[in-house]
Amino acid sequence: MKRNEFVKASSLGLLGALLPVQYMGKTEVILGHNNKRYKINTRWSQADVARYPVNNCHEMVQDKKGRILLLTDETRNNVLIYNKNGKILDSWGTEYPGAHGFTLFHENGEDMLFICDNNRHQVIKTTIDGRVLMTLDYPKEAGIYTKAEEYVPTETAIAPNGDIYVADGYGKDYIIQYNHKGEYIRHFGGKGDTPAHLSNAHGICVDLRDKANPCLVVSSRVQNAFKRYDLAGKYLETIDLKGAWVCRPVIKGEYLYAAVLQSNNSTGAQSGFVTILDKNNKVVSNLAGSTPQYQGNQIEEMYQTIKAFQYPHDVLIDDEECMYVAQWNSGKTYPIKLEQV
Amino acid sequence: MSIFGTKFTLNRAICSKTKKIRPALRTRYMKNLILPTLLLLYTVSTNAQDSFQLARPLLKYPSAFFTNEMSVEMAFAEPSTQIRYTLDGQEPTEDSPLYTQPVRITKRFTSVKARVFSTIYQPSDVIEATFIKDGLPIKSVENTPPNQKYKGSGAVTLIDNKGGTTNISGGTWLGFQTDTVEIVMHLSKKEKVKNVLVNLLRDYGSWIFLPEKIEVFAFKNNAFQLVDNKTFEQNKNVNGSACVATVFALKNGIKTDKLKIQLHLVKQIPDWHAGKGNKSWIFIDEVKAY
Repeated sequence: MKRNEFVKASSLGLLGALLPVQYMGKTEVILGHNNKRYKINTRWSQADVARYPVNNCHEMVQDKKGRILLLTDETRNNVLIYNKNGKILDSWGTEYPGAHGFTLFHENGEDMLFICDNNRHQVIKTTIDGRVLMTLDYPKEAGIYTKAEEYVPTETAIAPNGDIYVADGYGKDYIIQYNHKGEYIRHFGGKGDTPAHLSNAHGICVDLRDKANPCLVVSSRVQNAFKRYDLAGKYLETIDLKGAWVCRPVIKGEYLYAAVLQSNNSTGAQSGFVTILDKNNKVVSNLAGSTPQYQGNQIEEMYQTIKAFQYPHDVLIDDEECMYVAQWNSGKTYPIKLEQV
Repeated sequence: MSIFGTKFTLNRAICSKTKKIRPALRTRYMKNLILPTLLLLYTVSTNAQDSFQLARPLLKYPSAFFTNEMSVEMAFAEPSTQIRYTLDGQEPTEDSPLYTQPVRITKRFTSVKARVFSTIYQPSDVIEATFIKDGLPIKSVENTPPNQKYKGSGAVTLIDNKGGTTNISGGTWLGFQTDTVEIVMHLSKKEKVKNVLVNLLRDYGSWIFLPEKIEVFAFKNNAFQLVDNKTFEQNKNVNGSACVATVFALKNGIKTDKLKIQLHLVKQIPDWHAGKGNKSWIFIDEVKAY
């Protein structure tokens, strides 16, 4: 009798102690500014780490079936395919030890993938199931490389006419343009001291937001900037993102999104965040980052404010405007999903 | 009905005669209802909310070195946060002074520490910077030639009162990769020197280490006499980059117009570092005498 009463009393006591814990963190974390604010779900991925391990999560795309594809340099499964609820549907890829760039292109109704491999020094075009269609080696005809090891492609962007632009972001920082058959057309960018030059041309995308003036947006990550070029490689302007080590630009609708690997005020210290630019390429929101501020046209230095991310490497915006963030060197963690509020 | 495997019916639970809950069922009731409920609540509470930490606030200043006085600005563009700081080397707490406007620094050596707090997130780590006032006038400096990539504005870089930031490409640092670095300071006049200061950079990520040892000499009786020395530990658990201002003492003070600082670099980068076995770098941006 006494023991039962003791059990009852202590159980109720424990209950009373635990309930406040549940309510303590109740204020929901909302990241971002203006009309681009998101709530965060760090437990989105349901992948079993024993069956579907990851190393660095480099980039993500969404296919026409709505599936979320993740590229990792874990050669047990370089590509993991999720549904939007975080469940693993499929996986493939064992020959991409340097898997870094991942771009999807709709070609004649079919989804094509372009993988940049840092270790293989190649760009590989595959079907959505991983069947290799074309492999692009370093461009000998460009006359700017003496051997494959100098060419470390990080990203591709495919123009509406099928032209392939490759960013050699860890090599010589050139942008190489090929036609859809993989024939070399020209190169531009590269290292140097003029505004048209690049330093760590980490990412590239085609910007069709101004239909009359399609252009390329290229990351110059060490310079904390994006640079715009026309489709023939002529330099147009620099978009200064002072403080932000931007990875590749991702355009969806009117907005340009980019993972920011780290803050310039705190390098080497897991200081990443996500930045969002509007159609005028003005920063309107920083998820886990400082409130965007401009002095006239000059942007104020941006930096991480909340340690929600470590080293974000890519963002994906899906068909429902949800955001997924893949991270590099972040303890082999899986992507995080965010929903707009 | 069955709850958590306990079969019971309501009227059987309560003994019709005494209106008390039957003992056996009461024990089972405890075990099978309350404990799982507690377990459920516990798991719900731990999954309830990610608890993020704030990033460190910014300390903004043109240089950590000044002649008479300077102001330090602190910034953190995140709503509903407060920056708290100390000037006495203590770790800031929620009771420390609240930052509202740039802080005036006038003392010779001030360690500013700041932290940001909010009700939604966990407090940030501490950010720190040391602000150093000018000392005895130095006429000129000679030094071992630095590496071509990090030669600043030449020897004057060490006495221009510019620096104290962790930006290695700002031109305020001299970078060396030789085994030994020597710096000779010529004071404007012969006077009693009590302290010598050297400002170094530690940035393991950029292969910049603290020297293994520093020796300081004062010129007296036609020779350089050793007056102080220090050895340095490399701390592999340290993250990020930071300035390390080191002060040497000349016991009782020595009247001189020439001082020499000899820095001995770590001969080989230690095993725990990605660059193990290679030559290390040291970076120096300023020297002072007091």
